[in-house]
Amino acid sequence: MSDFVEQCRREWTRLGVPGSLAEEMAEDLAADLREAEADGISAEELLGSSARDPRAFAASWAAERGIIPASRDEGRARRKSRVLIAFTAVAAVALVVAVALLVTGEPRVGITTNNASVHFPPAQVNPSFFPPPGRVSTSAATPIEWVLLVLALVALGFAAWLWSNWGRARESLPA
Amino acid sequence: MLDLCLLAVMSDDPAYGYEMTKRLRDRGLGIVGEGSIYPLLGRLERDGLVETYRAASNGGPPRKYYRPSSAGRIALAQGVSEWRASRDAVDAVLAPIKVEVAS
Repeated sequence: MSDFVEQCRREWTRLGVPGSLAEEMAEDLAADLREAEADGISAEELLGSSARDPRAFAASWAAERGIIPASRDEGRARRKSRVLIAFTAVAAVALVVAVALLVTGEPRVGITTNNASVHFPPAQVNPSFFPPPGRVSTSAATPIEWVLLVLALVALGFAAWLWSNWGRARESLPA
Repeated sequence: MLDLCLLAVMSDDPAYGYEMTKRLRDRGLGIVGEGSIYPLLGRLERDGLVETYRAASNGGPPRKYYRPSSAGRIALAQGVSEWRASRDAVDAVLAPIKVEVAS
């Protein structure tokens, strides 16, 4: 019996039940189990099927008392929504920054590739292909604002898909 | 329904957890099956339907005693009324049925 109470206590600690409340519940449960045993009543008779699953019993008791979230699913859903909000916000900021860079034309930097082995014969190069000298620092460069724009749009699309899936999953949950 | 029974057995005299199971058993409800009274008592406490206090039991350690709050007494009265109405309705439906027991 003390093992059952000890497992409940550990579960309450793991679930973040305040120590004083966990101690109170453990003491009450231990006293009841002792008294029942003295009356010849087993833990199964007193607790029903819960006697075989101390962790579920402890979680159920704490949840019904309102000292932990009703279910881990709710906690997970809250964490997931926070992550989704943060991801969407970052993608939106990236989009705004990319658009601002495109509108202002700043900064004049680019992402260069390291593929230095590619050379064009001078005769085949059209001088009009090159952007203005101040615009790109090296050859084979991609303006960072365009890279950022593409990444932001992809991230926002992915976020929209995640929100859509998450919303459908929540609608299918029982009330 | 068990929460109603718990409110009923603690309404005459405050009781701690195991004491309530004894009173229920004395009245023919040998519970508990799935779960137990403890989560139910937790819910009643959370919903403000019971008041609690700690006091020494008969020579044992201090126990947490429960008694219905004023809201709990109202809930008990309403619950008993609804239960009786439901029981009467079911009885009315089942009354014409004659049960034959094969011997």
